[in-house]
Formats: sequence, structure tokens, C-alpha cells
Amino acid sequence: MKFTCALLLTALVLFLVSPAELSAAELHFSLAGDPQTFDALKVSDQRSELIRYLTGGALVRINRVTDKPEPALAQSWKLSDGGRTITFRLRAGLRFSDGSPLTADDVARTFSAALDPKHEAPVGDTFRSQQGDPQVRVISPLEIAIHYPQPKPDIDRLFDSLSIVPATAAPLPASAGPFFVAEYKPGDFVRLARNPNYWKRDAAGKQLPYLDSIRIDIQPNREIELTRFLRGELHLINKLDPENFDRIIKDKPAAARDLGASLDSEILFFNQAPSPSVPVWKHQWFTSAIFRRAVSASIHRDDIARVVFRGHAHPAAGPVSSSNRFWFDAGLKSPPPDPQAAVRDLAKEGFTLRDNVLRDREGHPVEFSLLTTSGSRPREAMAAMVQDDLRKIGVHVNIVTLDSRSLIDRLSNTPKFEACLFGFANVSVDPVQEMNIWLSSRPQHPWWPSEKSPATPWEARVDKLELLQASEPSRAARKKAFDEFQRIVVEQAPILYLVNPDYLVGISTSLKGLQASTSPPQLLWNIDSLSLE
Amino acid sequence: MRLLNRLALHLATLVAVVLAGGFLAAALVRYSPGFDSIPEDLNTALSPETLQALHARYNRENSLPRFYVRYLGGALRGDFGVSQSFGQPVALLLRQRAPATGRLVIWGTLGGWTLAALLAWTAVWLRRSVLTAAAASVSGLLLAIPPAVLALAFFFYQAPLGLALSLGLLPRLFGTLRAILEECHASPALLAARARGIGPLRIGVCYVAGAAAPQLLALLGIAIVLAFGLAIPIETLCGVPGMGALTVQAATARDMPLLCALALMITFLVTFVHAAGDLAAGDERA
Amino acid sequence: MRIAAVIVLLAVLLAGLFAPAIAPYDYSRQFRDSPNAPASSQFPMGTDDLGRDRLSRLIYATRISVLLAPAAAFVSVMIALLLSAVTATRRLWVEHSFSALTTLSLSLPWIFLFIILRALLPLNTGAIPSILITFGLMGVAGWAWPGRVFTASIRQMKKSGWLLQARAAGVPPWRIARIWAWPRLRALAAAQFRILIPAYVLSEASLGLLGFGVAEPLPSWGNLLAELQHPARVRDNPWILAPLGLLMLVMIALEALQPSRDSRQLPGAAS
Repeated sequence: MKFTCALLLTALVLFLVSPAELSAAELHFSLAGDPQTFDALKVSDQRSELIRYLTGGALVRINRVTDKPEPALAQSWKLSDGGRTITFRLRAGLRFSDGSPLTADDVARTFSAALDPKHEAPVGDTFRSQQGDPQVRVISPLEIAIHYPQPKPDIDRLFDSLSIVPATAAPLPASAGPFFVAEYKPGDFVRLARNPNYWKRDAAGKQLPYLDSIRIDIQPNREIELTRFLRGELHLINKLDPENFDRIIKDKPAAARDLGASLDSEILFFNQAPSPSVPVWKHQWFTSAIFRRAVSASIHRDDIARVVFRGHAHPAAGPVSSSNRFWFDAGLKSPPPDPQAAVRDLAKEGFTLRDNVLRDREGHPVEFSLLTTSGSRPREAMAAMVQDDLRKIGVHVNIVTLDSRSLIDRLSNTPKFEACLFGFANVSVDPVQEMNIWLSSRPQHPWWPSEKSPATPWEARVDKLELLQASEPSRAARKKAFDEFQRIVVEQAPILYLVNPDYLVGISTSLKGLQASTSPPQLLWNIDSLSLE
Repeated sequence: MRLLNRLALHLATLVAVVLAGGFLAAALVRYSPGFDSIPEDLNTALSPETLQALHARYNRENSLPRFYVRYLGGALRGDFGVSQSFGQPVALLLRQRAPATGRLVIWGTLGGWTLAALLAWTAVWLRRSVLTAAAASVSGLLLAIPPAVLALAFFFYQAPLGLALSLGLLPRLFGTLRAILEECHASPALLAARARGIGPLRIGVCYVAGAAAPQLLALLGIAIVLAFGLAIPIETLCGVPGMGALTVQAATARDMPLLCALALMITFLVTFVHAAGDLAAGDERA
Repeated sequence: MRIAAVIVLLAVLLAGLFAPAIAPYDYSRQFRDSPNAPASSQFPMGTDDLGRDRLSRLIYATRISVLLAPAAAFVSVMIALLLSAVTATRRLWVEHSFSALTTLSLSLPWIFLFIILRALLPLNTGAIPSILITFGLMGVAGWAWPGRVFTASIRQMKKSGWLLQARAAGVPPWRIARIWAWPRLRALAAAQFRILIPAYVLSEASLGLLGFGVAEPLPSWGNLLAELQHPARVRDNPWILAPLGLLMLVMIALEALQPSRDSRQLPGAAS
């Protein structure tokens, strides 16, 4: 009898305590695909970067709200030697999640490995300089100095992207951050567990993080992800498209958050490289700034923001989003659509509009193909709107959607395209991270990859201004140069900036401590302070 | 002896087709655009040197025959290489994913076959125009609905995905099953059996199943292959971590080791099923 | 039932052929002030996310899908019939080779062939050639499924009593094929033809993801049906189901047109 009562009581307790409460301290969200690696030094994709951020211990952490660097594994640092040397002092008693100690030797080893070409570490590019690699010196178990040949701008901020790794490699490595990778099932989920040796404590002296674990499901289908969020199975949902965001507004308004214009841009650019797949007369159009500006003037950016993004986007004024308050040139404005002015300007270049067909001076009808990625409805819709806008000035656009690999193949190396509608996802507010787009010799230079030398005086000027970004220690001087750069880009229009989409997210009301930002990782940058009700 | 000869012939065909299938699949991947590209090509934070190093890390084998011979050598030892998109051993990935797909395909095939057979039997045997029209309408309706969308609807209403696959398979089997059953229905042996008053169940088991066995077996083989084909979009759209979703991801990423393993597996499955159907059909020569 | 089926098919065919006369608006016209509008007197089926009239797009889409998907299905079935006819010879190696060929065809990732072909085609390939190439390729690549079914049926026929009798009586092979074999294969061919039509309608939409198929702003049933992947849209605007309803209607009509076996005289059935 007693045994039966105990059994019934136990069953009652278990029934009343729902599964959600049993794992109440586990944050649950999804990623669209698997991370490529858990090795912090080999990270080159956004998903792996997120895992790195959540698990990695860095010397410095940038507060994504104030945009100021804050001490992390390093309790302090000082700059000396005219900005060439940075000396870090580590906190005492640091340990990795497996209990092994973390000292200045581990920092030196990690930093050297990042710069060593043998390790092929993408993060090394952040720390390299044009004038030569930095030197590392371990002063004591808690002190380390890094010396550059020339001053490096904002050197302390760079260390936010370097996670200190343990000496022994493992498939699921130990970490010095708030979490470590505890379990991984490819195509299914990644589970991060709380690091019992994490250094940080809150104001009351309680060890962080508050969360016990994080479960990240691999879910490529965004509809399913959204459904699970609306059902309460996920705590947050990142980077929503406008249609799904409006669904959250309708079904769970308290959970919908529009963080304002993101750092990302939707762009259109033409192939200006000589290419056998582009006829000579088309090459002449694409290399004409007047032609590019006329195309830009014909596109209704406000319609794109209103229709495609349902009002959750801002017409772009230039290469920098208006949300990037410090670097954005406030003097720039998004160009209003003016197709008549576009046709007048084109007439100066010998184009004529007759019977709704625009022709160049040799009589070729103006027609080009517009490549874009398949599977993205906003991008396909934008392409359709651009096609419709340009039809009104007599330009015929053929939309071609390609899978991502085929698209990359056409854009990089030997470019085999005419025009491309694409997006820039900026991961940093600092424009020096985008230097490879603007330097004409770089393979990521969109309109002419790996140019042997700048084809025009303005491109040469852009090269100079970009190199200055990487070497000038004064922020004010960099800003001045960058403003000039932005004005050149708008005037010459090698890339037409269309809109800056808003950063749309869904956040469960049970998630506390979240301070959203438009800088990645937008919702999780202060993961150690998040808790669940 | 004749059986042994047929077995040997089928075995030789199996091996030849699997090897050819694997090679052709590898060739299609190797020469498709985007093979030499990596997603990091558009990563604006990376220097040219790092990009070069990343390309080298992906270790694209330029010589297709050399790659394939080496790959086959490893496959014979159970080593299918390392997936370039997942960074995991291919054999491990396949082992992890196979159960999800296996369950979906088996339940889907059994369900689809059974439902299609019942519907076809209803249409042929009962000879009521209303029932025939209803059966045709159900088949037409299910043919028109994309199976993946059907599965998505099932997912949202938390119904079993295997049933969605069955319903997707049903119309693809119904028409052919109906044609086979109609031919049997008009055959002299069946007419004689019906004239003798033998019941439909006994007729079905003793006369129809036996007479139409080769065609039914061939159709079963096709059903399994069709089910696997339907499983790919269902798994992809519904987020099932099975081999169908793996195939799509591998194709998108031009992941040669993974795609070769999948091609070898699929070719083996299809060839085996067809060979089994052919063997069961008996001696091909009249 | 047959008359109703013929009327339905004719109506769909005529709607497609005379789309410019029937559709209220051009399929590409964007009413940017009315995106995702519900059904109204101005837009009987509402508008899509770019403010384009759904009814007009459905009518224009019919032109492509109702003509080309059946044509592609016809090509697949004809290729399958012709190739499987070679297995009617008595040579074992011919049948084995054909079986191996169908197996290979069923196993290969044809998606890469499409990707390669897309890379070879100029980016400015016009809409009509691109659509014709798409459906043509689908027709050529899709022969293996029906080929397998036909081969099994032919194998069965080769063992049958009536064929043995006909051969013993000295009936020439072409006559056997025409009078005895073809009526049996015809039913199977009709079944495969009907199965392939919606498969090709939907496949065309998938090929759009690879740069083939019907590009914006041209509508097709395939790319209209792709919206079904977003159930919330369907809930907000049930007219999204209209292409599905139309496709269902066409499939049921085709099914209804299949001649019943009872009404046919099967030569040799009584032997």
C-alpha cells in the first residue's frame, strides 16, 4: 500500500513537472546548417563563428551596445610605443573547461598558430599587417606583449575575434568561454554545456553563465523553425525574412523585435572585367559611370523597401548602413528615383529611347542578364522589381537564378556574368574588415576580381584610402578618409547600394538579460548574462 | 546450373553497374560549375593567401580516374573518405543518417503499395463506375499535390511523415497496378476461376499474384526507388536528418567523397532491387 | 464523365492559348500599392507579393504547363517504349544491357547534368528556348521509370501462351507487336504518361532553382505551386491553391479519359 502511494506520488510529481521545466535552463534555437568546424583557428563560416563566440575565451570582448572593448580573459591592457605594442595582463587562476590552466603561454601559442601559414587560420588575416607579422613575447605567466612593426588601428578590438585554444586538439575541444561543445550529431543538433571553470561572476558573486546549456538544432527549413518558435519550442529566431516576421507580429507580438537597419546591404553590380562572355559593347556600357548611375537612378529603392521587405528595410545611401553611426557619412542621402533624368543622362552617352527600347550609339538594344541566388524569395522579388523598373527606361533584363556554388563560380576567378544582384553581410562595424572588397588587386573585388592595377584614377584613389584604413592609428583621420571614400563610391557607382534590410528577430519573453544589437552575434553577444524564466 | 549462371550474370551486372554509376556520378560532380569554388571565395575578411590555403585544404582532386580508383580502394576497406562539407567521416555520416531514411522509406513503401493495391483492386474488381471514378479522382488528386508539400502539411499537423510518403507513392503505383490487374481480370484463367465461383481473395492470392508476380515485383522495385526519390524532398523540407537531406546538402556543396558514397549506395540499391525482381521473374527466355 | 473530362481539358487548353485575351492584366504588371492583396473585384484571386494579379498569372501559366508538361511526358514515354522494344528480341544480353542502362539512368544525379548544361548555355538565353530546353531535357532524362515497367510487361508477354501460339503459327513479329503487344502496352503507357505530367510540372519549378525553367516574370504552374511550401501564405490567401485545383482537375480528366478494359476487345484473350 505504502509502496503504491509512493509510486503514485512520484508519477504525479513527474506529470506536474513538465519537460520544459526540467530543462528550463537550456537555451534552444536553430541554425540553418551544420558548423564546419569546432576548431577556433579554422573558422571561416558564420555558423562556426557563432559556436566559436559562444564557447571561446577571448582576451577582450566588445560590448555590442556601447561598441567599447571590455576586459575578458585579460583583466587589463596597455598600448605603448606609439600604438605598436599592446601588453595584456591576464586574470589569475584561469582554466579551460577540462580543468587545464590557461596562461600567457597558451595565448602566445594561439596567436602564433593564427599567424602561422601552416595552420591556414582565417583569423590570422585579422592580425597580419602589410608591414610584416607581429612579434609575441611572454613576459610572465600572466603577461604577454605583442609588437607590430607599424601602428595598427584599434588593435585591442581585434582580440575579440581570437579564442584562446588548449594545447591538445580534440574533436569537441575544451574552451575558456562560457560554454564548451558537449555533444554534436551532424544534421541534428549541437549541445553546448556550461563551462564549470568560467572566470566571470556577476555583481552578486554568482558564477556565470546562468544558463546550464544551449541546444542548437540544425534546421534548414525556416518555416519549420518559425513554427517551432511560435509553439514555444525555440527561445529565439534570428534574421527573419519580412514575411515570417509579420507572422510573429500577428501571432506573438511581444516576441517580435525589429532592431532597425542592419549592417547588411543588398547590392547590384556590373562585370567591368574584360570577359569573353561579355560582348564589347556591353563592356562599354558597364564601364561607364553614367550608365551605372542611370541604372541606379531608375531603381525605386523605396518600393523595394516597402514591397519586398514590407517596410522592414531602409533605402541605402551608400556603402555603409545608417545604423553604423560612427562610420556612416551623414551627408549622403539615398538617391530618389528619377527615370527621366536617367534617360537624359544616357542620351549624353549616345543612348536613345525609341519604341520603348533603349539603344546605344551603335544601335544595340540595351539588354543584360541579372544573376542572383536561387532559393531566396526577397532577392528574386528584388530582381523582378529591378527588371520592371528598368523596363520603363527601355532596358531589358533577363533574370537568371543560380545555386550558390554556380553563382560563386561565375563571380570569382574569371568572372562570367554581366550583372549580379547580391548581398553583403557585414560582420563588423569597422570598415577595415571590408578592405578586400575595395582593393582592386583582391579576388573579392566584385566588379573586377584581382585587377592587375586600378583601371581608373578613382579606383587608384580608393585603393589608397583603403590602405590608409589599415595603417592610420587616428580614428578621426580614418573617418575623414572614409567619408571621402564613401562619396567616391556613390559618385562612381561601381556597386549600386539598394537597401539595408532591418534586422528582424523573434525573442521569447522567457529569455531575460538580452540586449540586442545589429553587430554580430546580434542576440547572443552577452550570452553569459542571459537567463530563462 | 542455369540458376547459377543467372546468378553469376546478375552479380557481374551488379558490380559493373555500381562501378559505372559511381564513376559517372563522380564525373558529373567534378565537371559541374562551382566544383572549384568554395563558399569562402566571397568572404571579404580573408586574404588571397588564406583563400589559396583554404582551396588547398579542400584538396580538390584534379584527376578524376586517379581519384576514383583511390576512392574505390578506400571504399573496399570501409573508408569512404571525409565529407568536405561536414568535416566528418562519410561512413559515420551514413551510419547516423541511414535509420531515419530507412524508416521513412520502408513505411512509405509498404503503406503506398498497400493503399495503391487496395485502390486498384477496388477500381478493377468491384466494377462500379462510381467507385472507379472515385479511385481515379483520389489518384489524380494525390498526383497533383507535391509530395514534399503534403509532407510539410503532415509535419505541421504532427502526422507521421511515412504516411505522407505513402500517399505520394500511391498515385505513382495506382495507374500501373490498375493496368496490371485489369489485364489479369480479363485473362481466361481468371474468367474460369470466377465462373467456378472462387472468391476474390483466393483469386487474388492464387491467380492474380502468381500470374502478375514478375510485373508486381518489378513495380515493387521501382516503388522502393521512387520512395527514396520522394524521401529526398520530404526530408529536406521537413528537416529530417536522413540521407535524402544529406544528398541535397552534398550536391549543393559539391562534396565529392560524400556524393560518391551516396551514388555507389543508390546504384547498388537500385541494381540489387532490379536484379532481385528479374531473378524472381524466372527464366527470361520463352 | 468522359464528356465532362473533354470539356475540362478543352477549357484549360483554350484558356492557355488565348491567355492574352482572357487575362484581366499582363502577368508581369506590378500593382506596387497592393502587394498580397486579398480577393476583390479588382483582383478576383488577390495579388502576390509583388502586387501581380494571381488570376492573370494563373491563366498565363496554363499556357506553358498544359502544353509542355504533357509534351515532355510524351517524349519520355515514347523513348521508353522504343528502347524497351529492343528487349523484345530473344537475346539475353540485350535485355541485361537495357536493364543495366535503366538502372544507371535511375541512379545518376541528373541535377548535375542540368547544372553543367546551364553553365554551357549563354546567360541571355531567351525565355522560349530556355523553357523548351528545360522540358526537352526532362523528357529525355525521364525515360527510365516507364522503361522499366514496359520491360517487365514485355518479358511477361514473351512467356505467354498466346505469343507462343502466334509464333508457332508463323505470324510475323511486326504483326504480333501491332495486334497483340501494343494494346497491352498502351494501358501501361497511358498510366505512365499521366503520372509523369504533374511530376514534370513540379520538376520545372525545381529546375528554376538551377537557372533553368521559367524565369521571372513568366509564371508557370510549377513556380506558382512552389508557394505551397509556405503554409501561412495559404492560410492568408487560399487562392494560392488554385493552380493545385486546376492541376487536380486536369489529372482527374485525363484519368477519366482512359478507356475501360471491358469495352476493349483483347485479341488472343480467349486463347
